[in-house]
Amino acid sequence: MKRKLFALLLTVAMVTGLVGCGTSGSTTPATTEATTGSATETSAETTAAPEKTYKVAMILDSSISDGGWGAACYNAMVAAAEESGFETQYTDGLATADFATSIRSYCDLGIDLIFAPGNQYTDAVKEVAADYPNVYFALLNGTVETDNIVSILPDATQIGYMAGALAGLMSKTNAIGFIGGMELDTTKAKLANYEAAAKVINPNIQVFSAYAGSFSDSAKGKEIADSMVTMNDVDVMFGDASAVDSGAREALANYENRYDIGQPADLVALQDSTVLIGSVVTDNATMIKLCMEDVKNGTYGNKTVYGNLENGSLSAQYLEIVEQIKAGTFIK
Amino acid sequence: MEAVLNVTFFQELLLSTIRMATPILIVALAELYSERAGQVNIGLDGIMAFGALVGFLTSYITGSPYLGILAGAVGGLLINMVYAFCTITLGAEQIVYGMAINIFAPALASFIYKIYFGISSTLAQATLMKVMPIPFLSKIPVLGPVLFNHTIIVYLTYLLVPFTYLFFTKTKPGLNYRAVGEYPKAAESLGINVVRQKYIASMICGALAGIGGAYLTTCYISTYSDGVVSGRGFIALSAVIFGRWMPGGVLLAALLFGFTDALQLRFQVMSSATPYQLLAMIPYLSTLFVLAFLGIKKAGPKANGKPYFREER
Repeated sequence: MKRKLFALLLTVAMVTGLVGCGTSGSTTPATTEATTGSATETSAETTAAPEKTYKVAMILDSSISDGGWGAACYNAMVAAAEESGFETQYTDGLATADFATSIRSYCDLGIDLIFAPGNQYTDAVKEVAADYPNVYFALLNGTVETDNIVSILPDATQIGYMAGALAGLMSKTNAIGFIGGMELDTTKAKLANYEAAAKVINPNIQVFSAYAGSFSDSAKGKEIADSMVTMNDVDVMFGDASAVDSGAREALANYENRYDIGQPADLVALQDSTVLIGSVVTDNATMIKLCMEDVKNGTYGNKTVYGNLENGSLSAQYLEIVEQIKAGTFIK
Repeated sequence: MEAVLNVTFFQELLLSTIRMATPILIVALAELYSERAGQVNIGLDGIMAFGALVGFLTSYITGSPYLGILAGAVGGLLINMVYAFCTITLGAEQIVYGMAINIFAPALASFIYKIYFGISSTLAQATLMKVMPIPFLSKIPVLGPVLFNHTIIVYLTYLLVPFTYLFFTKTKPGLNYRAVGEYPKAAESLGINVVRQKYIASMICGALAGIGGAYLTTCYISTYSDGVVSGRGFIALSAVIFGRWMPGGVLLAALLFGFTDALQLRFQVMSSATPYQLLAMIPYLSTLFVLAFLGIKKAGPKANGKPYFREER
């Protein structure tokens, strides 16, 4: 029996692998979960049951273990799902051409909420959402609002300001750097505000930027960081490029007094890195949870969940410490 | 002051070129060995991805990047045996099976990664291979650090270029090897075992491409993530055509690509006002440009890509 199940699993895995022609990563893990999990029940049965188990699925172009963006978004989804009682699934390592196909197959699997963590998925989400009015979509860094798409929009201006101010304060060489993955609207906004904030702190500062053209080519991130340090004496960097940022941090670790600012999770706490001096933390979990509640209550759609300092969805660890000092709970 | 700045600029640029060209060069040489025996293998990208994973895992578990490289070679070789069996023994279309490897191998790599690390979002880091400066030579100003301050894999890769040249042009086994790619029927009639030679070629190709992938995760960066290969296998494939199926040409092609890529990254940093997409095109544009000038009149091995059936007349 076990052997049969395994064979079935492999077959399904291989078929999905073939269907996702040109997929650089794999669709296997998600399928594995789906087969072993409760997805084997028919959807009619699940809906007929009084207590429906809601399901959320996430798609990703980089990897959930990229030590940056992908990891943070995945953790946020899992944390939110745990609190709201959702089941989670994910597919990572997707090529741009496969975004829509992957979302579509999740829709067919009877997933209730699809989490697309980035502006780059906008077109794919819009395309599929039109065909599946009963499936809900949460688009991080999105600007779309329809009956079944809700955008989650952390404030790129404030993110850029926080990183830029910290970089401006930290830089001794008057040169700071930025790596983008792709030229997304949010990335451009983060870069512009990063530069503006750093210049307020230190008018003499110079900002250097480059795009890797990828979210997974860590080797390129390393090259970019290397060239910024050797050519322009950049000593603080900030990035918006997932695994590429991890490569950049590796390059910075080879030099003395070079630092990196992470996002969107508290990477300082998560990683054993000598170069991370701070992280701009986006509380994606809370925002996804809001979406999940809407799904449960049947009030989904036509809105944008904003994330900013005012509502507590954005933070930086040093701000929390300041708050603790104010409250007298920092060191007792 | 400015002169010093310029010297460091060029030194770093050349260093970056060597670093970026090395994985492409290893894999392009892999393809050269394959195509010289008439085996067009477009599955390089997939083999690299698998080699990158196996190399990373081995280096992560044992703590030795050298074992990682070795494991990458073995992994690449094994994966390529699927291609070899289907195309040589079964006489199937080479392009189709190369593409199959491109789809199958990265998915398998990602599958194994997830089985080993579970569904985890922590960034696994392995040890990087230490650089091995060559005494005295690495002290030469500018050229020293650029050429003689690398990991052993880099030296071996560049030494493989003259070795390959001598092998294919000056030795009997090398000429026999090439005969298989040019006119297998004639080779067979002169007592060369064509099938065995093609298998050997595929083994060399798999092992070298696997090393190329493992180089990325054991010598370049210390982490593995899906998509780490980022199309380098396809660039290597074009480097073989560009280099006209000769090791010297392949070296030039890999260096040109590495150089233009290193240059475009620096241009991006220097002028952020220029749209980066335009600069990112430079490596591909220059490849197109050179190809257009050189032409491909003198094409590669005559029997390249054709399945060989012993009994057929």
